[in-house]
Amino acid sequence: MKPGSELRLYCPAQSQYVAPIRHALAAFLEALQVDPGARDDVTTATGEALANVVEHAYVRSSSKTRDVQLLARIDRGGRLSVYVSDRGSFIRRKPLPGRGFGLRIIRAIAQQLRIDTTRGTCVSMTFEGPAFLEKR
Amino acid sequence: MSDGESIKTIRLGGELEIGRKDEIRTALQRSGSDRAVLLDLSDVTYADSVALTELLRFCVSSSHDAIPVALVVRTPQFARVVQYAGLAGAFKIFGDRDAALAYLARSDTE
Ligand SMILES: Nc1ncnc2c1ncn2[C@@H]1O[C@H](COP(=O)(O)OP(=O)(O)OP(=O)(O)O)[C@@H](O)[C@H]1O
Ligand SMILES: [Mg+2]
Repeated sequence: MKPGSELRLYCPAQSQYVAPIRHALAAFLEALQVDPGARDDVTTATGEALANVVEHAYVRSSSKTRDVQLLARIDRGGRLSVYVSDRGSFIRRKPLPGRGFGLRIIRAIAQQLRIDTTRGTCVSMTFEGPAFLEKR
Repeated sequence: MSDGESIKTIRLGGELEIGRKDEIRTALQRSGSDRAVLLDLSDVTYADSVALTELLRFCVSSSHDAIPVALVVRTPQFARVVQYAGLAGAFKIFGDRDAALAYLARSDTE
């Protein structure tokens, strides 16, 4: 697989789909020969964004379609971008007691985290480093 | 720990994640006779914040009841996600069962 390859998945925003999406992302990264440590980190961060869609996105939303979309794309510069989007509404709040680990985990792993809430929520994460460079 | 019977072992394996929240919560239970808990997570290949929250809740409530809890962790993802979540100080983590049991025995005499 070459830089420019992408993985795109759509699924209902339900908890039983989070693991399969994560596994598909891990397989995509394995095909790109991303080493196991970096693969774990990326799937850990992405798992948090997916769990957030399942737990929060549609709580305060009237959207009839309750789904989640994943897009992962690697570029030649050795940068992996992962986008997790939903059609719900982002809930801005102080961390719930004993919670609030998800975004913290993502920030610890990703070089960049952006949360766009203009139409639904799109969480974009960028991962950089030698692990994501093309292997020859 | 003088009485081996009073150490409860709870074993969880595979991927501890949002889809298994109820199962994880059900597994993390103590009874009145438990004096210490060994949480054997040796076969855990993945944990997310939902699982961390359940584990944290269990450890905090055990600590309130002065029941020591030791975690056995052998896989890198779990150790790393605990760091990323800023929870390194919240759990007593050991690389094998013997070290965890030794800690629980020490906690008993303290
Ligand atoms: N996709 C989303 N849709 C709506 N709200 C979201 C979404 N993602 C995150 N949030 C909001 O951001 C907050 C913080 O998310 P974060 O993952 O850090 O913590 P949490 O999900 O509340 O708890 P934890 O991740 O520890 O289980 C959430 O409580 C929620 O209010
Ligand atoms: Mg979360």
